[in-house]
Amino acid sequence: MVKMRGAWRLLGVALVLSLVAAACGGDDGGGDGGSSEELTGSVVVSGSSTVEPISAFVAELFNETQPGVTISVDGPGTGDGFELFCNGETDVSDASRPIDEEEIALCEENGIEYVELEVALDGLTVMTNPENTLSCLNNGDLYALFGPESEGFASWADANDLAAEVGGNGGFPDLPLEITAPGEESGTYDAFIELSGIPDIGVERGLSEDEAEALRKDYTASPTDTVIITAMEGSPSALGFVGFAFAEEAGEGVKELEVDGGEGCVGPTVETVADGSYPLSRSLFIYVNTAKAAESEALSAYVDFYLTSEGLVTAVEEVGYVPIPEERQQASADAWATAAA
Amino acid sequence: MAIVASEASVRSTVEQALRGSKRDLRGRLFEAALLGSLLLSLAVLLALLWSVLQTALPVFAERGFDFVTSNMSRIESRAGVRQALIGSLLLIAFVFVVAVPLGIAAAIYLQEYAKDTKLNRLLIANIRNLAGVPSIVFGILGLVVFVQAFRVVTGPEVYGKSIISGGLTLSVLVIPIVILVSMEALRAVPTSIREAAYGVGATRWEVVRSHVLPYAAPGIFTGVILSLARAFGETAPLLLVGAVTGYLSPGLGGSLLEVLQGQYTALPTIVFSWSRQPGDEWRELTAAAIIVLLVVIMIVNAAAIVLRNRYERKW
Amino acid sequence: MAVSTKDAPVSLTTLRGSVGRRRKEGVVRAIISSAALLSLLVSLGIVVALIGEAFLFLRDIELSWLWADGWFPRRNPPEFDVLTIFIGTIEVALIAMLIAAPLGLGAAMFLSEYASPRLRRTLKPILEVLAGIPSVVLGFFALTVIHPTIVQDLLGASSAFSILAAGIGVGILTIPLVASVSEDAMYAVPGALREAAYGIGARRRTVTTKVVFPAAVSGIVASLILGFSRAIGETMIVAIAAGATSGALRHIDPLTPGQTMTGAISSLAIGSDQVKSASGFNPFLALYFVGLLLFVITFALNVASERFVRRVRRDY
Repeated sequence: MVKMRGAWRLLGVALVLSLVAAACGGDDGGGDGGSSEELTGSVVVSGSSTVEPISAFVAELFNETQPGVTISVDGPGTGDGFELFCNGETDVSDASRPIDEEEIALCEENGIEYVELEVALDGLTVMTNPENTLSCLNNGDLYALFGPESEGFASWADANDLAAEVGGNGGFPDLPLEITAPGEESGTYDAFIELSGIPDIGVERGLSEDEAEALRKDYTASPTDTVIITAMEGSPSALGFVGFAFAEEAGEGVKELEVDGGEGCVGPTVETVADGSYPLSRSLFIYVNTAKAAESEALSAYVDFYLTSEGLVTAVEEVGYVPIPEERQQASADAWATAAA
Repeated sequence: MAIVASEASVRSTVEQALRGSKRDLRGRLFEAALLGSLLLSLAVLLALLWSVLQTALPVFAERGFDFVTSNMSRIESRAGVRQALIGSLLLIAFVFVVAVPLGIAAAIYLQEYAKDTKLNRLLIANIRNLAGVPSIVFGILGLVVFVQAFRVVTGPEVYGKSIISGGLTLSVLVIPIVILVSMEALRAVPTSIREAAYGVGATRWEVVRSHVLPYAAPGIFTGVILSLARAFGETAPLLLVGAVTGYLSPGLGGSLLEVLQGQYTALPTIVFSWSRQPGDEWRELTAAAIIVLLVVIMIVNAAAIVLRNRYERKW
Repeated sequence: MAVSTKDAPVSLTTLRGSVGRRRKEGVVRAIISSAALLSLLVSLGIVVALIGEAFLFLRDIELSWLWADGWFPRRNPPEFDVLTIFIGTIEVALIAMLIAAPLGLGAAMFLSEYASPRLRRTLKPILEVLAGIPSVVLGFFALTVIHPTIVQDLLGASSAFSILAAGIGVGILTIPLVASVSEDAMYAVPGALREAAYGIGARRRTVTTKVVFPAAVSGIVASLILGFSRAIGETMIVAIAAGATSGALRHIDPLTPGQTMTGAISSLAIGSDQVKSASGFNPFLALYFVGLLLFVITFALNVASERFVRRVRRDY
């Protein structure tokens, strides 16, 4: 009776107290750098899981001087991100590949106007386990190992014949071929297909365009890079690809393979990605809804900040990608200035 | 099924008893096997806790309590569970305010008021089924109803992916469980208590309020706490209704309504998303977040058990 | 509020009480009965939401897509081989029951028939603690411990994920459920039955296996069905440890990654709303279709377990 009423009250008080404690306890987001104005508002960013770390870190830095702006960043995938974006559900779309025709059409259909801004460079690192003696693959090899016709190859050696036919170096040992790589919802998947030359080889061999623009079905697909990295560490003959930054973070656990795009074997490093000599390098973008930016000071402030050197250089490097050359940094800033006007 | 107590086996049992030997070998083995299965569960539990603790240790050794007060971050050394903890607590508070009164009210109706009609039997069967529905299906319901259909109310600025949506979804998930445990607690109150109240002319509600509820309260209380603890650990439905997995700003600004209509993240969600980040450091952080999650759940469960032991009445 | 019988004769109107009290009674009744009816609304909501969207899905796809190599929702053309994810679900659930049934029943039997009250009080919390562990935590455990040690080291599997690891994790999760429901069933067997058996010279093992177990068999079967249903509906362990997050070929090898129904739902959902694939078709709708299947299956299983429990009650 009275005892129990006391217990209920206790529970309620406990809940409220813990909430207050938690909320006040960490209220340190205060900016000590004098910012001219305290902005409020919200910004919703979604899209590529490759670009997500950059946008998230930029948001973190931004919040240090503008704690009143609530930014959320998610990384479901480039394609998924564009869907949300072109349906007006996000303010900024992270993308690891340029927007494609269908997505452009969808945006037009829904009246979404946007500006494309290049923000960083990324390499696609093909990797394997450190114990693997392999060191370089060319386009033909990639086709023979990953391409649509490689379905069913359970051992590396199975791919040797196909590699020979398409100009690959082959010479693979008879070890289990276990591929772990991003799945079809990921922009990294699309980028790999585009940059690896697989569609061209496929069409040459008589496949339809749709069929040629796909990888084999029988690999372990994962949208989450840690899974792919773990898989490389897990088996001596594993094979896979991820974004450059994630491979760098994995460090000793994986062996990065060099890729020969026709001009010799080149390994993925910051320099080779920056100067474009590494064949599997790509640009990373953000797409900003210009109408929303005009309405929301918070959004435009965020993008402004993104395009300063704090965003395009500090954040990009901190996360592990390669900053775009200065002229292109300026180009992005100009494109934004024009669009925002 | 008849027990075949043949003369031979009876004789052997009596002989053994007289001789003083405790049990036959097969009986002992059987008992050992049964105990073994219980101890195996204990072993697995300990292995789990040990492995999580071990993995999480570096984080707490280096950063201590700072881990709990730091915000979400891409940088491993800065990442913390503060927002996730707040989000989870807010969600549970929401569930407590919404689901518990509704659940107890429905239980009172079904147990004390409802006659044994077909409709009421159907209601109870329906509730039991709901309690067994996978949590992710509730997530789908939450997505369709709260995030999409009622977006204007639940979270107009954030496309419906707000604490309100998450809280309502979890509430819907928890209500059937609260109803079932409350009904059981109410059922355990002896009829004599009720009859004593009716005997002096109380209306049914007065009987419930002044006699039945106080005696059922400990059981209801325990059950409610346990269901809240369960809701605290739910991940799947929140993934569908918009808990943020990437990054969320630390500011918890504005009025209560703005906070409720704003974006959020939760502890189990953080555990899930960090478990997908590459590298050892993120694995350690995941384990550390799990420790925080388990600590909160253990505290709640322990509170329920203590309270149950303290207030339990034997009829 | 006592009614004085000293002064006035006791009449129905006196006993019935004032109008105010009766009105309050009516209000209270209205409030709590609507709370109860709310539960019907929820069920209805689930069914309507699922059926409506699942119907849209079936209308928009080519039905041939439902029978293909595997579950590849974002290919062009997409493949929605339901059998793939169904097999995955059943595999995980069966492996889980292989673990949960013996361990859960064994624990229940011990606690109910062998343990002294003090031992029971000490050991029962083990199961309660296990029951409180959230599934994400078990998923992490399955990924970081169960898979490497059991599936990789012991059984030599090469991938980083497996259906087996997920199945074992789900099994651990289900042990407390099986144990508690079957223990209730065994505990409910009247002591008189046991004493009758002891009285004619049966040993404890015989009493447990030949008297209590058969008497409680309905409740025990119910616990197994409930456990199976829970295992089918488990999402997070599969999402973390079973490995196939976007596409999977149809197969039955538990040592390799695979996809279940719940895993398919969560992987479609972690994305976003309204996702179109290269083919221009919206694979997200598949989520509702699979959700509906899942709901129907677990609903049927729960109804079946109800039947068994009701039989127990009737017997006594």
